[in-house]
Amino acid sequence: MSGDSVRRRRRRRRLVLPVTLLVPLLVAGCGDQNVLDPHSHAERRISKLWWVMMTGAWIGFGLVVVLLFLGWVRRNRSTLPFGGGERAATALVVGLGVAVPIVLLSGLFVWSDIFVIRATDAPRRGSTSLNVRVTGHQWYWEIKYPGTSAVTANELHIPIDTRVRVVGTTADVIHSLWVPELNRKVDVIPGRDNVMLLDADRPGTYPGQCAEFCGLQHAHMEIRVIAESNQRFRAWLAAEAAPAAANASRGAEVFMDEACSGCHQIRGTDARGQVGPDLTHFGSRTMIGAGVLPNDREHLLEWIRDPQHSKPGNRMPGLKLSDADLRALVAYLEGLK
Amino acid sequence: MAVDVVAPSLERRIERLDRIWRERPGLLGWLTTVDHKRIGLLYFFTTLAFFAAGGIEALLIRTQLAGPNERVLGPETYNQLMTMHGVTMIFLFVIPMTTGAFGNYLVPLMIGARDMAFPRLNALSYWLFLGSGIFIYLGLFMHRGPNCGWFCYTPLNTRTYDPGPNVDFYALGLIFNGLATTAGALNFIVTIFKLRAPGMSLNRMPLFIFAMLAVSLSLIFALPSLTMDLVFLELQRKAGFHFFDVAHGGDPLLWQHLFWLFGHPEVYIIVLPAFGIATSIIPTFTQRKMIAFPLVALAELLVAFIGFGVWAHHMFATGLPTITLIAFAAASMMVVIPSTIQVFAWTFTVVLGRPEFRAPLLFIGGFIVFFVIGGLSGIMFAAIPFNQVTTDTYFVVAHFHFIIFGAAVFPILGGMYYWFPKVTGRLYHERAAQLSFWLTFLGTALTFFPMHIVGLLGMTRRVYAYSPHLGWDAYNLSETIGAFILTAGLLLIFGNLLWSRFRGTLSGPDPFFGGTLEWATSSPPPEYNFPVVPKVTSPYPNWDRADREEDARRLVAGTFVLDEGHETPASTVRDGYLDEVLSMPPESPWPVVVALCVALLFTSLLLSHVVVACVFGGLALLALAAWHTREPEES
Amino acid sequence: MSAEAARLDRGRIARPNGWWGIAVFVATEATLFGTIIGSYFFLRFQVPQWPPAGVPDPKVLVPLVLTAALVATSIPVQIAYSAARRDRLGVARLALLLALVVQAGYLGIQIRLFIGDLDKFSPNQSAYASIYFTLLGGHHFHVLIGILLEAWLLLRLITGLTRYRLVALQATVFYWHFVNLLAVAVVLTQVSPAL
Repeated sequence: MSGDSVRRRRRRRRLVLPVTLLVPLLVAGCGDQNVLDPHSHAERRISKLWWVMMTGAWIGFGLVVVLLFLGWVRRNRSTLPFGGGERAATALVVGLGVAVPIVLLSGLFVWSDIFVIRATDAPRRGSTSLNVRVTGHQWYWEIKYPGTSAVTANELHIPIDTRVRVVGTTADVIHSLWVPELNRKVDVIPGRDNVMLLDADRPGTYPGQCAEFCGLQHAHMEIRVIAESNQRFRAWLAAEAAPAAANASRGAEVFMDEACSGCHQIRGTDARGQVGPDLTHFGSRTMIGAGVLPNDREHLLEWIRDPQHSKPGNRMPGLKLSDADLRALVAYLEGLK
Repeated sequence: MAVDVVAPSLERRIERLDRIWRERPGLLGWLTTVDHKRIGLLYFFTTLAFFAAGGIEALLIRTQLAGPNERVLGPETYNQLMTMHGVTMIFLFVIPMTTGAFGNYLVPLMIGARDMAFPRLNALSYWLFLGSGIFIYLGLFMHRGPNCGWFCYTPLNTRTYDPGPNVDFYALGLIFNGLATTAGALNFIVTIFKLRAPGMSLNRMPLFIFAMLAVSLSLIFALPSLTMDLVFLELQRKAGFHFFDVAHGGDPLLWQHLFWLFGHPEVYIIVLPAFGIATSIIPTFTQRKMIAFPLVALAELLVAFIGFGVWAHHMFATGLPTITLIAFAAASMMVVIPSTIQVFAWTFTVVLGRPEFRAPLLFIGGFIVFFVIGGLSGIMFAAIPFNQVTTDTYFVVAHFHFIIFGAAVFPILGGMYYWFPKVTGRLYHERAAQLSFWLTFLGTALTFFPMHIVGLLGMTRRVYAYSPHLGWDAYNLSETIGAFILTAGLLLIFGNLLWSRFRGTLSGPDPFFGGTLEWATSSPPPEYNFPVVPKVTSPYPNWDRADREEDARRLVAGTFVLDEGHETPASTVRDGYLDEVLSMPPESPWPVVVALCVALLFTSLLLSHVVVACVFGGLALLALAAWHTREPEES
Repeated sequence: MSAEAARLDRGRIARPNGWWGIAVFVATEATLFGTIIGSYFFLRFQVPQWPPAGVPDPKVLVPLVLTAALVATSIPVQIAYSAARRDRLGVARLALLLALVVQAGYLGIQIRLFIGDLDKFSPNQSAYASIYFTLLGGHHFHVLIGILLEAWLLLRLITGLTRYRLVALQATVFYWHFVNLLAVAVVLTQVSPAL
């Protein structure tokens, strides 16, 4: 086994590591569910915590790799590089294995678990100006604004620069609410109310998705937080709280006559179904099926024709509608702004 | 003259030992075996088959996730495959491989004994393990496999949300599996305490033995929590009991607490034997004793102990009170220390020694690299806010795969190469082995490292598909490519071992100049392991030439040969003073019979036939009674 | 044979393998019950009313008296082992038989009470009932196993004492001490709402 070829391979292997060190740096700025692209005070503190921990980790890792490499390079010698034998090595084991970690870990513990946690922890009742109630369902998010009659699904509007107290629970199994660019995740558990803080510092759309395995369509349970100016938020909330405008179209008839009204609610009509999400202002939402399709005419037709194709296993059956009825229904739903 | 008088007597002794310890040939011999080496081999091949199954499941998962919105697998199939991947790898591969295969084969050899303390119980633990594996896989083959994730949270695991037999296969199968593992752990504890060769006091045990002791004690105290959790689940599913549902006064978090009370010690159970393998290979391939031996031994025991106090760090996102979170975070930081001690002890042993990076040590080098990566990401999880961001994402998938694959499987692979000559009497092909290491190392790094990144980019766990606009595509594709490279590396390893089994050069008893007792006997060892009870005065007995020469003299003189029957010595627990000579039982058909009855009992429970289950339980008890009518002294 | 077995037993310094085996087994079972009892109190402190409305408080006196009787059988089983060690097999068998009768009586009465409880409240109705019946059922099952072990030993001891059987007796006696201790923990948990 030629020493040269082994040495060459070891060098090549060691190059892989610095390269992968750079990649996380490249990551900041990619994608929309990027933990390292914070848009809130809480998430910024977490992001900073990460960068410091990562640096420390690379240093520790580097130390071990260097030691292993030293072992190989000095394989014909039985002493440490600066002299010293077993006793010195044992002292180093105690120093590096006990003393240094105790110091570093204590520091990390105090910083993250005493200080950073204050920023990410749940706000107390009454300490925020806005409360939102989120209920997880298989496989969508029901969103209510206590104090109003607004009910919507999968889209959570909040005003910017406002601390929002989100109270989460579930109607069935455990889900987890997570908006990576705004804060940590919080599990929603039957019989419990778990609380999370949302506070975006810039307008924008912040996507997240269910983060606790909840069955067949766990992968398609997106939530979108839309942060906007206070004015726009108030307007949106008022519109959302209002019932649907009166509508006697063919589409509305289809909705009532078919299975739709048995599962979905449209406030202001006789449709009071509680199985699926509230559709009162569906027309102004951006997603169908909690993110499985974008909300536009083509996809809505596709969805209603065969929901099982896009989101197999979800609770919505396909409907046998004539083409005209289907188009009327879609037009009606589009009009529910 | 003296030689002529002595030599025939020596041959006669060996012949007598052979005759006493030989087992039946053929299939019947394997079914009734109580020889720890044969049982170890049974475990080895069975766990390898499960490793292949788990690996195929992984490759299917990676194929589905190679690109966004793939339609290779539907959600139900995917959920079954990902659950079975976890269940298989943890319960049917890693633990039975390290404890059942490596532990069974090596522990008696390393302590200078002729078998385990309870040979028939040893056989029973294998047959129970095999039964449990077949039981769980029956579900998958019927496309009714467990589909709730390997920790199967409630309410998803209830009849309401998972009405089929899927979760019952999971729960009953794991209770069944737990019986096997408990029996094995019990056997190791008693064997390590009582059957050490005279002179091997507690502080002279090899580090592998310390690791096996720590693992076995952990299993004894951790498994009951899982067992009760699963019993509660089955009572709720099959008999309408209420433990986890809020409406009747139950609590879904009870499931999680009981699960993780087992689940966290479980991860130390996974790595500890691997630490043991590493601490066996390092001294041999650096030709020096482990630095800070007592600290390392203590660290192995401590990590298991402290590991019982950190379970709720798997539940940081569940809304526990902040003070609880902080307490568990503190404990989670503390549990790091025994591991950092060990990492530096291993590394400094390599620095001070004369390392020869042949395949076994290469794998240990890879192990150290991956364990440090996995350990560092693990430390990050003790920072509560960071934990609450990355839990249930691919970041944690990266963490535990670096630990499980990097820190448990790499030593297993290295250990396979290391002890291959001992088991088969032949050497593996060195160059192919080194290539197999680099392939496996590269494949592992490429498969699991990008998962850190994609987790930070927001990719959650257990998703059967993902959208294209989130920046995850390239990383997922690399992971899939990495998985196939890793598979190539593994295939090369097994190809090498298979080829070498038949064509490798003969190795002799001690090709690597190892320090522990298994190298003091022939390769492969005879059924009775050692013709004479070895004299032990240090943790590296095979490096004590004076003691080994004393053994040879004793063999010639006929002392300490123990060839009056199926005999092995028992010693006192702490100091290893010779206490009595034990009679070991011969082969027995009853372990297989008991295991069969237990398998039928669990099948009856699966089908909700409680009365039939009780009948099989009664039969198992009768078989146990029959088993105990054969008392070893009588043979 | 019996004398030989007894002599060999006294000659040992360390405890026999069988003792260590049962000790480890007891450790597992003790942890198992620790988990059940822990779950009992975990569930108890989740709800305001325990037992829930409609479920009667557990009886205190009868279970405590029964447990006292069971715990008392530790004395004859220990006597059985000491006698066997000194090669007094007749005394050993008699002591075991006495213990067996009392333990079987205990189990019989406990099963009657168990069935009676089932008539009053069902595990299908509440977490309290679920954990109550699981805890008691698990304990009674361990008593049954102990009785079966003793019965088996008595059978084997008819043909005399061997080394193996003496270790088996020692293991069974250990197991019974554990079951009796467990009975105390279980009964205290069982009656805790009424205390």
